[in-house]
Order: sequence, then structure tokens, then C-alpha cells
Amino acid sequence: MELSIIFLPLIAAITAGFFGRFIGDRNSEILTSLLVSISAILSIYVFYEVIANNYQENIVIAKWISSGSLDVNWSMNIDPLSSVMLVVVTLVSSLVHIYSIGYMSHDPHKPRFMAYLSLFTFAMLMLVTSDNFIQLFFGWEGVGLCSYFLIGFWFKKESANAAAIKAFVVNRVGDFGFALGIFLIFYLFGTVNYDEVFQQIPTITDTNLNFLGLEIGAINLICFLLFIGAMGKSAQIFLHTWLPDAMEGPTPVSALIHAATMVTAGVFLVVRCSPIYEYSPIILNLITIIGMTTAFFAATVALVQTDIKKIIAYSTCSQLGYMFFAAGVGAYNVAMFHLFTHAFFKALLFLGSGSVIHAFKDEQNINHMGAVWKKLPYTYALMIIGTLALTGFPFLSGFYSKDAIIEFAYLKGNTAGYYAAGVGIVTAFLTSIYSWRLIFKTFHGEYNNKSIKIEETHESPLVMLIPLIILSIGAIFAGFLFKDLFISHDTNNFWAQSIFFLEPLSTEHPPIWFLLLTPILVLISIPVAYYLFVKNKSVPEEIVKINRPLYEFLVNKWYFDELYDYIIVNPSKKIGLFLWKICDVKIIDGFGPDGISSIIKKVSLKANKFQSGFIYQYAFVMLIGFSALLTYLIVN
Amino acid sequence: MVSIGLGHYLTLGAVIFTIGIIGIFLNRKNIIVILMSIELILLAVNINLVSFSIFLDDLTGQVFTLFILTVAAAEAAIGLAIIVVYYRNSGTIRVEEIDKLKG
Amino acid sequence: MIAHTIFFYTFSIIAVVSAIMVTVSKNTVHSVFFLILDFISISCLFIMIGAEFLGMIMLIVYVGAVAVLFLFVVMMLNVAQQKNEWFTSQESSGHIPVGLIISAIIFFELIIVIGGWKYKPDLFNTNNLNLSGATSNTHSLGQVLYTDYIHIFQLSGMILLVAMIGAIVLTFRQRSGVKRQSYIKQISRERSEGVQVVNVESNKGVKIDG
Repeated sequence: MELSIIFLPLIAAITAGFFGRFIGDRNSEILTSLLVSISAILSIYVFYEVIANNYQENIVIAKWISSGSLDVNWSMNIDPLSSVMLVVVTLVSSLVHIYSIGYMSHDPHKPRFMAYLSLFTFAMLMLVTSDNFIQLFFGWEGVGLCSYFLIGFWFKKESANAAAIKAFVVNRVGDFGFALGIFLIFYLFGTVNYDEVFQQIPTITDTNLNFLGLEIGAINLICFLLFIGAMGKSAQIFLHTWLPDAMEGPTPVSALIHAATMVTAGVFLVVRCSPIYEYSPIILNLITIIGMTTAFFAATVALVQTDIKKIIAYSTCSQLGYMFFAAGVGAYNVAMFHLFTHAFFKALLFLGSGSVIHAFKDEQNINHMGAVWKKLPYTYALMIIGTLALTGFPFLSGFYSKDAIIEFAYLKGNTAGYYAAGVGIVTAFLTSIYSWRLIFKTFHGEYNNKSIKIEETHESPLVMLIPLIILSIGAIFAGFLFKDLFISHDTNNFWAQSIFFLEPLSTEHPPIWFLLLTPILVLISIPVAYYLFVKNKSVPEEIVKINRPLYEFLVNKWYFDELYDYIIVNPSKKIGLFLWKICDVKIIDGFGPDGISSIIKKVSLKANKFQSGFIYQYAFVMLIGFSALLTYLIVN
Repeated sequence: MVSIGLGHYLTLGAVIFTIGIIGIFLNRKNIIVILMSIELILLAVNINLVSFSIFLDDLTGQVFTLFILTVAAAEAAIGLAIIVVYYRNSGTIRVEEIDKLKG
Repeated sequence: MIAHTIFFYTFSIIAVVSAIMVTVSKNTVHSVFFLILDFISISCLFIMIGAEFLGMIMLIVYVGAVAVLFLFVVMMLNVAQQKNEWFTSQESSGHIPVGLIISAIIFFELIIVIGGWKYKPDLFNTNNLNLSGATSNTHSLGQVLYTDYIHIFQLSGMILLVAMIGAIVLTFRQRSGVKRQSYIKQISRERSEGVQVVNVESNKGVKIDG
């Protein structure tokens, strides 16, 4: 029964993908949504079993590789960590399938879209239920591939193609590090199965390896390499450049992949490898620093973006930074909890923005929207719920998870922890500013759209609203309902072996003023944002005029794209051009086919002169041959 | 040097042979010179054969020379006939202008 | 022996010089004459060496037939008037050094072969000239030719026959515009072809076509 959780989406993908033309658009939509929904219901049931009866199982599907000491199976591993991920993935995926029925109703390629969504779900499920690194990598690559397909879904658009390639290539950089990490694990332990590797970790705490001339601890190196993979997949800073461009894909894609599932694969990896990471405090600090830097960076950039989906994308980037920084301070369960709640409200926000885009007939710039809160009441209400949850408004889900992160950072006690907590609070303030900016600019103020009249904007159809409503229930209640399960003091009853804590997490509480700081900041940001973006629009313009360089810096995303262009892309293009023009064409082709053919032509032109038609030349040649023969005979 | 032996005759043959060979391809005149050079070559061969026959006291050399003589005459006749017909057809027997075999 | 030496050198020098002149001379008719001189000197050499039958035959066949044939063709094809240049021609004369080198190589190789034999003791007898003998050269040749070598003899006759026919076949052409008698046509003429009765009107005359 559990296996059907994984395979129903695969069947859906194959059917809709290959036979979509025969079974019709409507049927492929219904089929895929139905199968993935069944998968979701089954995963909820499994999750219930894990909570209630401590259900844990490792189902081996088939033997995959058995070569020397490398023994890898296709398997489905159900434990608390993977069951949480199962619920998140299948639930959000099924809601996105249903939503897409409405959103993509004008698109001529519905079966392909549905097939890709289901295929993605399958790959993600493979990733989270694996019991060895190789199947994890298989799922990792699979979701990267489906992300490429889905971002470049409208493949006739040049920018979509470019964005898809950018996503794939940047992911590749991360995958390279990840693969190196897996190789290193195999090299050190002779196995890639989680159980065996995790058991043997304590034995090599003192081993040092020579990597590029430096002496590095083996565990540190493994953790670093695996983290590079996580950075690529989860769009942490330096490898984040693909995420905003990935918004070229349709909105359901952004909701599924770039909010709830694929980008959380990196967090899942770090948490799954908590037995390894716990032995590497240096890398944990690195993760904390990177996480918080990403969170801050993304929040600052989101402040000045004008595309509604890009704002939410940077918001995702920022929240992922939070998750990593929770993992970095050792609070893996808090990271998972934030992942869980984030899936709900971020998907809600994305799908809601899709609803807005649909209403404005594919307009995505928030400067061209406004004043439609009466026309789109449901969307407005649901977006407000999502925003409240995201910013950590008290008692909604984001409050519990985000504040827990900041608490644990403070409780860690070391400098990195305090610093991280401070940055976390600042970022939370910025988060709520830009989130409310989005709401106010989209739904309040004056109507700014030049191309369609306000009367033409309409609410989305029911098929798009129902998933939003379900997600909003999760956004409101998931935090409160599950916080005891995930992050309470006796949380180890739930997580058991799936997350490893070297020292148990501290059960203290930070001081009250600290606990109250964030909610107060969040609460006052609402009127501040209202003032800045609705009441007195000239204030932001003034701020921009005064700080023009800072504004430019933020709008150009801290110039990361330009930096990478300069350092990596242009040299690569030059190298590629060089290799093509000179190596390929001149050398290989020159000595190969083209060269040989032109040489043959030249030689034959010269040889042509032998047949001049003059008899005396023929006689001469005969004579030369004769003398050569004679010389040969005499010399021998 | 004083007493003439087989070697001298053979050298003479070799010299005439080489001159005949030179004549084939170092001439820019006409085909008839080529035919004459061929006759010279055959003559050199004849000298060789006869000298060997005399010095080894074996008549086979001379018999063979007779036959070579015959064949040389026949071949000269045919060669000249061909040249005559060719001249009729193309009007020239200058070596530079005979390149109909050009590939 | 001295006479032998002197005659040998005389004849061989004449032969070599005239051979060179065959290829070198500008006038083709001169080339043919030098060829004739060449043949004569060589045949004198043969007579001196003791192969007198061959010497005479060479004189008759080579000089009398072949060289005269050459002369016929040279005269007929009007090559004597052509301006022949050996060293200055439009095409490159770069082939001359190469050609000379190649021929020098061949010459030296031939000499090496000959010279190599010089060091074999038994093959080099100077006093093995068959100048004396009970039977003359002609006689002994005749004895051998018609008995041991009869087949080849007949074959060479065939060759000559074929050459003759070939030469005729190659160069035969019907000349147009020449009146000939074909006796077969004359004998097989019928009355209908020969006589034609025409009714002539008075004072009109008859048109006779040829």
C-alpha cells in the first residue's frame, strides 16, 4: 500500500505524458489529479500511523546495483522524517494539480503539463523515501530535470528557455559538490546506505584527508560537499541566481517546485544527514552563516522588486535561509517544522498570486495593479491569511516555526548564534514590510492598470479557489496543531532515530523581552507598510532618490548576476568559442574529416599532373621506377 | 686498358643504352627521335649479347641477337605506321603537342 | 692485340659520339644519318669480334631497311623543317638535370654490375676470342638456327608477317577523288547498267551525265 504512494504519480505521469493525446485533455487532468490525490490521502494515513503507532518500515522494492562492496537497492524508507515530507509533497502536489486544471485552462498543452507535474512528484517521492544516497541522488536529479521541463514549459519563449537552462546549470554546480560528497562517503565507508554510514560516522572523527593540498577533517569535508549540493538545490546565496528567473514557468510550477518541494530538498538532505552534521561544528557554523546571509539578502532584494512572483520567490529564498540557519544551530526539528508550515503558506501565496495574475490577464507587475480588493474578495482574504502566516503574525503557523528558529539561535549561545538571532529578527521585520507592500500595492491604492478596465477583473473559478482554501486551513492551523509534535521538549518521541542530536537541545527559554521582540516588530510593520505604500507614496520615492546607489544595488539583486557573468559566464563562453573555433574546427576537423578531404584533393590535383598525356613523361617515370628497382636490387 | 676484354664491350653497351634512355625523355623534338632512341637501346642489348656469346664461346647469344634484330625491325615498322596515321589525324608530331592521353 | 685495341676504341668512340648526336642534333634528318653511322660502326665492331654474319645482317637489315624506313617517314612528315630546340623551350627545362642524374644512376649501376664481375676470376678471359675456327660463323649459326631454334625462327617469321600486315592495315586509306579501276565491277556489269536507250528529238541533243 505504501508503495502506491510513490508509484501512482509515476503511473499518472506516464499515462498523461505518452497517452495524453489519446485520452484527451480533460481526462488526463482528472486522472493525474486523482492519482496524486489518492497518493496524498495515503501519505496522510501513513503519517497518522507514524505518529500514533511509531510505524517505521524499510520496504525494499528491488535490487539496483550490486557490484563489489557497493550494494544499492530501490527502497522505500518510512520513518518520521520521510513521512513528514511525504505529506508535504503529496498534499501540495495534489492541490497544485487541481489548481492547474483551472489556471492552465487556456493552454493547449495540458496533458504535458500534468505529466510533468506528476513526474516531478514521483522524483521527489523517490528522493525522500530513499534509504541510500544513490536513490537520493536519483530523485535529486529527477527533480532538477522536471524543474527544467516545467520552467521551460512555454518553450517558445526565449526567456523561458534561458531560465530553464540557467536553473539546470546552477543546480549542476551544486550536484557536482553533492556527487563528490557521495563518492567521498563511499570511499571512506565502503557503503552508501544511510544506516551503515550513520553507524560508522563516529569512528572517523579523527581522520584527516588531503584535499587540494589542505589537511581537512574527513567529516568536515563530507558535510561541506553535501552542503554545496543543498545550496544549489535550495537556492542559498551564491547558487541562488536561478530562483528568480525560474519564475518564467507557470505559477503552479512555482508553487509546487519553488515553494514547497524541490527547494526544500536541500533542507531535507541536511536534516537527513544530521548524524554526520552533528560531528562537524565548523560546517554547522558555515551553514548558519550562509543561511542567515541568504535570508537577509533575499529580504532586502524583495523590498524593491516589482514582479509579484519574484517578490514571493525571494521570499522563499529568504525562508529557506531561515531553515538552513535553524539546521545550522542544531535545531533540525525546528527546520523541519518551518519547512512543513512554510509549504502551506508559501504555496498559498504563490497560488493566490496566480489567481491575481489570472484576474489581471497575465499582468505580473504590481505597479500596474491596485484597488481590486473588492473585486477579488476570496483571493484577497486568502492572500492576507498567507501573508499573516508568512510574517509570523502571532498564533498563525509561521509564528510558531519562525520564532522557534530565532529562539534556538539565541539559545545556542555562541557568537554565531547571537549574530544569527539578530539578523533573523531584522530579516523578519523586512519580511513583513515587503509582504505587506505586496498586498497593499496589489489590492489597495489606485487602479493602475492601463490595458484592462477594473470591471473586467474577475474572481477565479472554484477549481482554483478550493486548493487555496485547503492551503489556508493548513497555513492557519498547522503551526498550532503540530508544534507539540515537532518541536516540543519531548519531541524525540516523534523523531526517534530519524534526526540525530549529539547533545539534546536546550529546553530553556530566552528572556521574555526577546520573545516579544519579533511579534511586536511584525505587528508595527503593518501600519508602517500601509503608510508607506498606500497613504503617502512619496516617502518611498524620496527614500529611493536619496539612496539611489543603494536602490540600484538592491534592484540589481546585489549585482550577483553581473558578477557571475563577468567571472564565469563570459570566460566560459570565450573558452567554449575557443574550443569550438580552434580546437574543434581547426584541429580536430582540420586533421580529421575536413583536413583529410582537402589533403586528398590537393594530393590528387598534384597526382593529376602525372597523367599529362606526354609520352616522354610516362617513359621518364618508368625509368625512375626502373632505376629505383635496380638500386634496390644492387644494394641488397 | 690495353687488352680489350669483356668488360669493355659491356661498358660500351651500357653507354649506348644510357644514351638511348636519355634520348627518350630529354628530347623536346618529335616522336621519331624516341623511336630512334629505342633502336639505340636495342642495339646496346645486341652488343651485350654478342660479346657474351663470343667470350663464352656459345652461339646462343648470336641466335638471340638475330631474333632481336627481327623484332626490332618489325616494331620500328609498326611504330612508324602509327606515327604516320597519327600525323594524318592531328597534323603534328611534336612531342609537346601530343597529350591526348591526358587524364 | 694492339690492332684490336685501336680498332675497338675507334669504332666505339664513333658509336658513342654518333649516338649522342642522334639525340642532340637539331635537324631530324641529321639524326637519322647519325643513327646510320652508329649502326655501321657497331656492325664493323661485330665483324671485328668474330660475329661476321651478324655484322652483315645488321648492315642489311638495320641500315638498309629500318634506317631507310625512318628516312622515308621523316621526309614524308615534313619534320625536317621544324625548328627544334633542345635547351630552350617554353616549358620548364628543369627536367634536364633530373633526367641526367637518373640516367647517370642507371649507367653507374650497370657499370657496377660489370665491375663486380671483374672480381670473379673465371668469367673474364681475354683470350677467349673465337677468331679461329674450322667453321665460319655463318656456317655454325646456320647449323644451330634450323635445328635447335627452329620454332623461334618460325615465330619470328610470323612476327614479321604480322608487322607487315599491321603496317598496311594501319596506314591504308581510301583516297577520295581518285579514279580507280575495279575490274570486278567492270566484269560484273549488266546490260541494264551499261546501255541506256534514249529517244532523241530532232534538233534537241542529248544530255549525258557522267
